[in-house]
Amino acid sequence: MPESSEESAPPVVETSLVYAHGLAAFVALLISACFGFWAAAELVVPQLAGSSPWLTWGRLRYDHTQGIMLGWLGNAFFAFLYHAVPVLTGRSVTNLKLGQWLFGLWNFIVVIPGWILVLAGFSQPLEWAEFPLVIDGFVVLALLLAAIQFLPPFFSRGLEDLYVSSWYIIGGLVFTLLAYPMGNFVPELLPGARGAAFSGLWIHDAVGLFVTPLALAIIYFVIPASTRRPIYSHFLSMLGFWLLFFLYPLNGTHHYVFSVIPMSAQIGAITASTLLGVDVVIVVTNLFLSLRGTGWFPRDPGLRFVSTGTMFYLVVSLQGSLQAQMSINQSVHFSDWVIGHSHMAMLGFASFAALGGLVHAWQRIPWASYQAGMINTGYWLLLSGVIVMVVDLTIAGLVQASSWKSGAPWLDSVRASQPYWAIRIFTFLPIAAGFFMVMAGLFAGKPGAGLKAIRDTVGPEPVAEIAPRFATGGQA
Amino acid sequence: MRRVLRMSYLVAGLGGIGFFGMSMLLLGVWPGRTLEEQIRRTQPAYPLPPTASEQRGRRIYSREGCAYCHTQQIRYVGSDFKRFGKATLAWETIFDFPHLWGTRRIGPDLSREAGIRSSDWQLSHLYAPQALVADSVMPAFPWLFDGAPNRPRQEARDLLDYLDTLGRNRALAGPEADVHARDAMDCSADERRYAFGKGELNASPAMARRSGEFPLLPRVKTQPAGQDVYARNCAGCHGARGEGNGKGADGLSPKPTNFTEQEYSQTRLSQALWHGVAGSAMPAWRDVSRPDLAAVAQVVRSFSATQAEPQIPPPVLELGASVYKARCAQCHGATGGGDGTAAGQFPIAPTNFRTQRPSLAASLRTVRNGIEGSPMAPWTNELREDEINAVAYYVRTFYTGDVR
Repeated sequence: MPESSEESAPPVVETSLVYAHGLAAFVALLISACFGFWAAAELVVPQLAGSSPWLTWGRLRYDHTQGIMLGWLGNAFFAFLYHAVPVLTGRSVTNLKLGQWLFGLWNFIVVIPGWILVLAGFSQPLEWAEFPLVIDGFVVLALLLAAIQFLPPFFSRGLEDLYVSSWYIIGGLVFTLLAYPMGNFVPELLPGARGAAFSGLWIHDAVGLFVTPLALAIIYFVIPASTRRPIYSHFLSMLGFWLLFFLYPLNGTHHYVFSVIPMSAQIGAITASTLLGVDVVIVVTNLFLSLRGTGWFPRDPGLRFVSTGTMFYLVVSLQGSLQAQMSINQSVHFSDWVIGHSHMAMLGFASFAALGGLVHAWQRIPWASYQAGMINTGYWLLLSGVIVMVVDLTIAGLVQASSWKSGAPWLDSVRASQPYWAIRIFTFLPIAAGFFMVMAGLFAGKPGAGLKAIRDTVGPEPVAEIAPRFATGGQA
Repeated sequence: MRRVLRMSYLVAGLGGIGFFGMSMLLLGVWPGRTLEEQIRRTQPAYPLPPTASEQRGRRIYSREGCAYCHTQQIRYVGSDFKRFGKATLAWETIFDFPHLWGTRRIGPDLSREAGIRSSDWQLSHLYAPQALVADSVMPAFPWLFDGAPNRPRQEARDLLDYLDTLGRNRALAGPEADVHARDAMDCSADERRYAFGKGELNASPAMARRSGEFPLLPRVKTQPAGQDVYARNCAGCHGARGEGNGKGADGLSPKPTNFTEQEYSQTRLSQALWHGVAGSAMPAWRDVSRPDLAAVAQVVRSFSATQAEPQIPPPVLELGASVYKARCAQCHGATGGGDGTAAGQFPIAPTNFRTQRPSLAASLRTVRNGIEGSPMAPWTNELREDEINAVAYYVRTFYTGDVR
């Protein structure tokens, strides 16, 4: 990866921040999963909401997705960046203090108050933008701080021969900073259909410009770092990167097909969605070729999560291209098919990648605990839970679509959904248990067991090449 | 060489940001301008902006996540057109800050909700949805009320007011505005068909209609399927045994009919099921299959406790006839057909006694007490007791059953 010839002081990995964001990520993940579980259960037993506004379905639903995107994935990405940026650039991140401010801002000013405000009835009814406007201001501020924290190392190193992960990190951070205000502020200013056009863009950009680039940065990082082999083709990496950043932002309008938004915009977005499928095939081919020889379930837990996340990425993207087509969109839009799709994206693809990145970074904190067995158990629980949930919701979506098409009374579609909704509730068990096991695997076990596991299986880390110093964080 | 390379990264970086800018231009700004232009050309002269109460209601709708189960967007596709009505036009959304289009339909689309349901139904449903719609998964919103569905707080009233705006502007604008919009829009064949085509602006099968054609349901034997349909759709208000005392009945005004004290012709049942009872909480059931409707009609019939008709002495009937002619015929019609000269001015149509016969007890009670929530007034201050008795007897003589 990088050469650090000109740099005198070796870079520092702020392990305390990897640890803090990792811990916050898991806590937010478990809380967000509980929001999702409770909302899912209320679809089967509506009385679970009680008579309190705080537990009503809509508010739980808002907190579920905001918690997953900002609380879980946001923290997980930051944790990974504190590990990856020094390794990729040979330079430390801007400032430890700034990191502590970012951590506090992100968790104690954005995520926790956001959750509480939504439950208390302060929110905005826009998808992936449910936290109230006052919180959105702080999100933008935090994203700005993140850019200041993570981007200068890339620029001071120089942009020549940047590894593809770096491109995705730069792209993800810069584009999210641009897209977030668009999705959160513009629909408040432009009414109805005109605002919806921007909402549609943000719904896709949240996934395409924030979650996907950073998840791919993790995947591109963990594969060569774990296999000790370069990525198969840097040309394909760059092709995939530029196509992705060209095509992803052009997808948004596919959330409003057959709407009053001009048909040419819809058709443009559908075309971009189709091409995006082609791009993902290029990206994933490159990743699979880089993974060759590691098998379906690589032994290294971080790599295993990343490898499975890559498979989900392929499937969910092809599904996305498919469901953007007008003939299919006409039927499955508005149904649980789409909910299945989003869970495959955020849980199957992004969360597996994030878990892979977290486990990978964690293992390399010299003083952190690590227990591979629990992580592997968590992996199997998660994999089974996600697959059952996605298959279940996809079938539910088809059932709902056919009920709507038949002209039967509306409630027939609700009644027909009940068995699938009931199954979906139970998928919470393996999924939550899986998350918990992975978390336990990172907090139980012996300090330093992660590095030892690496030495025992593939030999010592080639520290001389990567050259970061891992801050001891006052421990070990 | 290095400098050139550095430049190329700068160009690439700007290009990347350019991609984002391009997406905003192509899919945000440019369609927005097209929409703005289209709205300018197609909107009616005076679209009604929301009142303060309606705006507060909209904020409640927003914060409770209503839009995450109920879309507000009728798409330009056949199934939406058939189920919900004419596709949403851009100008209909001009007051939506921010839009509430939604991307998931667990419940039905609400873009044309105004006018489908009565206010007492809406409030009762917000208070306890499952009381009215047994299999609904909608959350209840009891904190918008003071402990009872007919005691809404200001918040519930605001929300109700907001629901009454959904689709209002298009309905108010009338067919002329649609013709104007269609001509001004230069629309595609699909747009023409789904936004302006032959069909109803509001196609909801639950919207009650005061009059119109309806299919005469066949008489069928009592069957379990009918019991099932009744239990799911009717028992919430009318009660499991048809006594008008279901869980959902509390907040409704007028109260749901107690079937045990009514006798109906098949015509009346068919009409009530197909068109609902306009002005009351009784919705229409045009989406239920006709065999199911016929089966439900039979269930309703089976609740009726028919007794042997008492012999009424002729002088009593004569007194009843004279009271009826003086006091009742204006609304209920000279021959009890519910078609008196004043009938049309009431929100709820007067009872047609030729197709519906109340029991003597119900008839007496109604003449004495009136029907709360309907235009039927109490007569105890106006009529003597013998007159009340006589007219209560008399109205029951109009019944002809299914002989028209």
